[in-house]
Amino acid sequence: MEDTAIRIIDLHKSFGPQKVLDGINLEVETGKITVIIGKSGGGKSVLLKHIIGLLKPDSGEIWVNGNDITKLPEKELNEVRRSFGMLFQEAALFDSMDVFDNVAFPLREHTKLSDREIESVVEERLRQVGLLTFTEKMPSELSGGMRKRVGLARALVLDPDIILFDEPTSALDPIISLSILDLIRETQQRIQKTYVVISHDILGMFRIADKVAMLYGGKIIEYGTPYEIRRSTKEATKEFLKATKIPGFTGGSYEQQQDFP
Amino acid sequence: MSSSKISPELKVGILVLVSIMILFYMSFRIGRLGTFREGGYEITVTFANANGLDRRSPVQIAGVEVGKVKNIALDSYKAMLTLTIKEGVKVPVDSKIIVKAQGLLGDKYIEILPGTEKKFLAQGDRIKDVIPGIDFNEIFTQVNVAAKNFGETMGEFKDILGDKEKTNIKKSIANIESLSGDFRTFMTDNKGNITRVVNNTAVVSEKLSSIAKDIEQGKGTLGLLVKDDKLYNDAKETVTSLKNITKDIEEGKGTLGKFAKDETLYNDTKEAVSNIKEFTDGIKKGEGTLGKLVKDESLYNETEKAMKKIQKGAEGLEEITPVTILGTIFGFLF
Amino acid sequence: MFDAVTKKGLTPLLGILKELGNIGIMFLQSIYWTFRRPFKLNYIFKQMEFIGVNSISVVIITGTFTGMVLALQSYYGFRKFGAEGLVGTTVALSMTRELGPVLTSLMVTGRAGSAMAAELGSMRVTEQIDALIVMALNPIKYLVVPRVIASFLMFPVLTSIANFVGIIGGYLVGVKLLGINEGAFINKIIKYLDPEDIYNGLIKAAVFGIIMSVISCYKGFYTRGGAEGVGRSTTEAVVMSSVTILVTDYVLTSLMF
Ligand SMILES: Nc1ncnc2c1ncn2[C@@H]1O[C@H](COP(=O)(O)OP(=O)(O)OP(=O)(O)O)[C@@H](O)[C@H]1O
Ligand SMILES: [Mg+2]
Repeated sequence: MEDTAIRIIDLHKSFGPQKVLDGINLEVETGKITVIIGKSGGGKSVLLKHIIGLLKPDSGEIWVNGNDITKLPEKELNEVRRSFGMLFQEAALFDSMDVFDNVAFPLREHTKLSDREIESVVEERLRQVGLLTFTEKMPSELSGGMRKRVGLARALVLDPDIILFDEPTSALDPIISLSILDLIRETQQRIQKTYVVISHDILGMFRIADKVAMLYGGKIIEYGTPYEIRRSTKEATKEFLKATKIPGFTGGSYEQQQDFP
Repeated sequence: MSSSKISPELKVGILVLVSIMILFYMSFRIGRLGTFREGGYEITVTFANANGLDRRSPVQIAGVEVGKVKNIALDSYKAMLTLTIKEGVKVPVDSKIIVKAQGLLGDKYIEILPGTEKKFLAQGDRIKDVIPGIDFNEIFTQVNVAAKNFGETMGEFKDILGDKEKTNIKKSIANIESLSGDFRTFMTDNKGNITRVVNNTAVVSEKLSSIAKDIEQGKGTLGLLVKDDKLYNDAKETVTSLKNITKDIEEGKGTLGKFAKDETLYNDTKEAVSNIKEFTDGIKKGEGTLGKLVKDESLYNETEKAMKKIQKGAEGLEEITPVTILGTIFGFLF
Repeated sequence: MFDAVTKKGLTPLLGILKELGNIGIMFLQSIYWTFRRPFKLNYIFKQMEFIGVNSISVVIITGTFTGMVLALQSYYGFRKFGAEGLVGTTVALSMTRELGPVLTSLMVTGRAGSAMAAELGSMRVTEQIDALIVMALNPIKYLVVPRVIASFLMFPVLTSIANFVGIIGGYLVGVKLLGINEGAFINKIIKYLDPEDIYNGLIKAAVFGIIMSVISCYKGFYTRGGAEGVGRSTTEAVVMSSVTILVTDYVLTSLMF
């Protein structure tokens, strides 16, 4: 298997006069967790939607499995998409289905599993996100955090090769947040798939990241291990990391970080 | 997924079933499926004019529906109709066929007047004996035109002229005579069937009454008709026949509707109407010769009386005729 | 100057044409996806339940009262000519040819068309449609096709029910209330009502079903601007569907009868 799961080359995207992506270059390594950080409204979600072909760029290329998905026709693009899972920022659960059916949906549409097999897979996923007792709730009856966890279960249910997480821990309390991060870390280590995670939650992300990319001004201005990022001398990065208000976080070491509560 | 006991499939199924039942019921009641089931045999007939007939117009014998018009097609500028006759209804080969209307407002339908032969029509046969249908529209316009002509002619009576060309007048009178002769024979032949004619006559009489008024005004000049005995007698005779006609009409009161069934009466009416036309045309041609008409007041009076009688007859008729029908007549005329 | 004026005048016109084009495209797409496997029968049945079964009460009430008022109105007219027997014919013909399909469609548009636009609209703004796409599932097939098929099938079903209860309503008012001769009432219906009247009315209804569902789905599917946008789409869907139904009705009537 190739080392690079996703290669993004000089990606540009504007909405009207607003330049959101202004020459993104990024290589996402296979079997690693890549965390993309950047300020709100900086274009992280837009970048993610390009990776899965929901948005078409103004220019640039995105290579996945040897295909430039920006140029693929819908049919082949769907082939590529089958190897993706995605957790949306607002979870995007189907309103018309209860929790169980939401998680079971990809299985029902894309596999030939029997109802019993589907049930056992879904229950396993829901147990992992701690929602096994909520299978019959409708999305409108869930809190934002619970919805996000269902969305996570749904993204993981097909065991895709590449999973995109748009802010998996926002709107979660610190304890759940931690357990979700652990879940992401733990599943990733077990199945060794490629994870791309977007977050503001710098602390949490440094906990799970293999690689961190810093999105700033429509470009990736930093890319490296968490340790390298914290060592960064770039103003924008330093400013961003300082916002954690943890003394010594910038310029510190990842290992030291473990001692913080 | 909503956890109702009845599945969507079942609910939808019940709904669709109900609507299909409704559809079948309605289709069945309004007949298409009914005729399909009954079947029957087809006969053809050609009319000069199928105006007002439609596919699925009824075919009747003695007022009982025995079939429907299946198809109407053009066949060398005539209307060729295919009729479906119910199984078990036997139509003698010498039957006659006629297009009729149910009342003035009503739809056209086809009536078969069964013949007496013991041989019967079979699938694909053709009825040859077609009695032309009654076109009320046509009758009314003709009567109307005739009445107008008559009125104009009467107006010309006012201008009394020289005594030339009595022969022309005689011819006119003869025309009137033959007309009234026709009228009388058809009246006696068809006593009791007359009321529809009266209907028409009502309209004529209205025109006539205005003519009569004209005559009244023209009394001084017209009133006293000719001295020629022969001519005088002829005129008198004519008036008498008119009187007889109105009497017949009065007797025919209340028998409305029979007219439509009698083809000879219809033909007579048509003939009469054309006679009236001929007669008025004749008078028109004789223009200028009428002047010599006599000074007999009694003739004038007789004429007026006759007119009044006609009017009375018409009034009597009006009373027994549904308002709607008169309304329609006037609708046709004005 | 002149250019600016023509541009100003043309822009909304072009906008309308573009919208019509997009609706046409959505219609063609939904036809295309109708015939692609797998067939989502359970989705179709769910929509049929929503559009058809759940509209029964509103259709029955509308149909009955329309028939009743038709009988009442035409009675006062026909009485002047002594032709009360034609009340049944009037009710039956008006219901089957015109009011059954049109009123049913308008009522269901208000109920189901608005719901379609709102559902799809909120699916759009909460990224549920994106979620489907990401799962490599075609949203037209999963969301639009079941609604269009269900409307196409259910509109005639509802219309035939409306026709029936409308005639019953006319019968109740005409015969039981106004005392029209029962035999004349029924026989005149049987005599003058052709099966074609009923069938053409149902064909109309099916066309209206397609129009309503395609327009409402289109409006919902391309909703922009959050919850507010959903509200706007819903209103536009109902207005545009209703207007288009009425215009199409004229065209269809002039073609059919
Ligand atoms: N469909 C769109 N049309 C127009 N503008 C858009 C669209 N999607 C995103 N934008 C704009 O692009 C910019 C980046 O949006 P994006 O959602 O990627 O931000 P983000 O980095 O994910 O922020 P957050 O962390 O708050 O989610 C925003 O300014 C937004 O207004
Ligand atoms: Mg975002």
